[in-house]
Amino acid sequence: MIFNLKHSAPRRLGLVITFGLAALAMIYLSYSLPRLLPGDFVTAMYSSSDVTLTAEQEAELRAYYTEELGFGHYLVKLFRLDWGYSYAFLTPVSTIFFEALPWSLLLLGTANVISMIIGFVTGVEAAWRRDSRLEKGMVGGMTFIEGIPEISTGVILLVVFALNLQWFPAAGAETAYAEVSLCARLADVGHHLALPLATLVLAYFPGYFLLTRNSMMMVIKAAFVTTARAKGLTARRVRYAHAARNALLPLVTRFGLRLAFMVTGALVVETIFSYPGLGTLLFNAIQARDLPVIQAIVLVSSLMVLTIILGLELVYGMIDPRIEHAH
Amino acid sequence: MHIDIRQAVSRDPWFVVGFSLGLIFSIMTLLGPPLAPFDPWDISFTPLSPPSARHFLGINDGGQDIFSELLFAVRNTLTFGLISGLVALALGVLIGLAAGWFRGFVDMILMRIADVLLAIPAIMILILTAALFRPSPWVLALILSGMMWPTISKAIRAQTLSLRESLHVRAAAQIGGGNWYIIRRHLMPEMFPLYLIGFAAKARIAMFMEAALAFLGLFDPSRKSLGMMIGYALKYYYMDIWWNWLLPPIACLSLLIMTVTFLAISLEKVLDPRLKEALG
Repeated sequence: MIFNLKHSAPRRLGLVITFGLAALAMIYLSYSLPRLLPGDFVTAMYSSSDVTLTAEQEAELRAYYTEELGFGHYLVKLFRLDWGYSYAFLTPVSTIFFEALPWSLLLLGTANVISMIIGFVTGVEAAWRRDSRLEKGMVGGMTFIEGIPEISTGVILLVVFALNLQWFPAAGAETAYAEVSLCARLADVGHHLALPLATLVLAYFPGYFLLTRNSMMMVIKAAFVTTARAKGLTARRVRYAHAARNALLPLVTRFGLRLAFMVTGALVVETIFSYPGLGTLLFNAIQARDLPVIQAIVLVSSLMVLTIILGLELVYGMIDPRIEHAH
Repeated sequence: MHIDIRQAVSRDPWFVVGFSLGLIFSIMTLLGPPLAPFDPWDISFTPLSPPSARHFLGINDGGQDIFSELLFAVRNTLTFGLISGLVALALGVLIGLAAGWFRGFVDMILMRIADVLLAIPAIMILILTAALFRPSPWVLALILSGMMWPTISKAIRAQTLSLRESLHVRAAAQIGGGNWYIIRRHLMPEMFPLYLIGFAAKARIAMFMEAALAFLGLFDPSRKSLGMMIGYALKYYYMDIWWNWLLPPIACLSLLIMTVTFLAISLEKVLDPRLKEALG
């Protein structure tokens, strides 16, 4: 857990300050690193790239990276979505960024929600049946799956289901130029989403499972669970409304903490399936040595991760009232 | 934390599997270069030829022997993970001990820095530095450890805070033991299990990141790496190369990550008394 669970008003302020500092640090790095580069890096960078620059474009790029307007001005430009111009894609960086963002959010959001639900339910059920053979087998299986990195799952799914069996498309997020009804289009998007989604779910849900099970094991012996059973409540109600609710908190914490790590996984998975999200965009930008795009994706996605983690930290109190009353 | 580690751990099947795999990979790493039948940078073979008696796994698109490449790649990925993990552990232990032992101002400053670092996604910093400066892998490994120490130091700090109140530490302070003496002789040895857990977890993240960065093409292309091999092989997926070129690096990477995952999970289970109860 990043922070103590004491969320009084000063505690909240402390949280906001910490995340503000982290955001400033990221922005400052993104501002200062290109300026630290030795020599004429524009020529060096673009000489090994697929992009050919005219003299005018080169001068513009150089001006963009060497202008001495200070950090304040950089901040203003950042908020105005003025992130520079991409000479590899021949569009403003913010345009291609916001074209890619929805696909990434769709993929990552769905993957996380699905794996959290599966992990939570299986974790609760496994903890309830502790010491049974089913539970031992589940823990073993999940530990095993937890050990397989996304790169491997992704490539295996791609080779088997897209290339050999050809059940799913191997690339893209939808069929291009297909003018069809909304329903058909949704089905098409889902069809393209299936494999990358499966990869991410396989990567995330064992973690949620193991965590739910472990924290359930601690809760399950508590007196209030015995009380709930003694009251004659149904088994399901005891399990979910009484025990599982108290085991939920570590899960949410993990969700936040893992987000940063998930960005990596998503980068790789999107690249494997050529899914047109931020990961693929970043990959293409790296291949083309397209500096403004790399910079914008790195910075803005880190800022988004920061905001989400901060948001989660702040809503802990709502999920678990004990935190609010702890102080 | 007085547990007979060796006995407790050797009974856990996950540890046994992880340890044996780790042993195999260490041997591959140490004996890799002399074992490799060819120079992995030698481009004199027929590109994309299938496996034969001379070339176990065939030849890649650049005319290099895939098996030799694989041996060098495992070695690079493994050393990256180990170095990153070790440096992160050293930083985490020192900072955690300092924060927990001296408390007050030192503690506050160190832990605020830790909070800020925890919030920043390490992979993004790595991508940015790698794309801009093209530094050597060692520099990247060090940057990564510079971002990974906070979780270790938080655990060490919490343990230090409870240990400093224990009788033997207070007795040592009472008879005039200095700060450094107590930290070195009493605190550091006592927290040994925490080091193992922290190291295994960090090494896992580091190997994972190395593979991802190499896959994205952020390392020097002449440096052999599992991620890079997967990336290159994937470009030729339409040819019949997947079982001799694509599969070996995937299998190696998965086994490598599994090794550390199993070790991390089993160590945590056996050595963390609070979890021990929960995990049975």
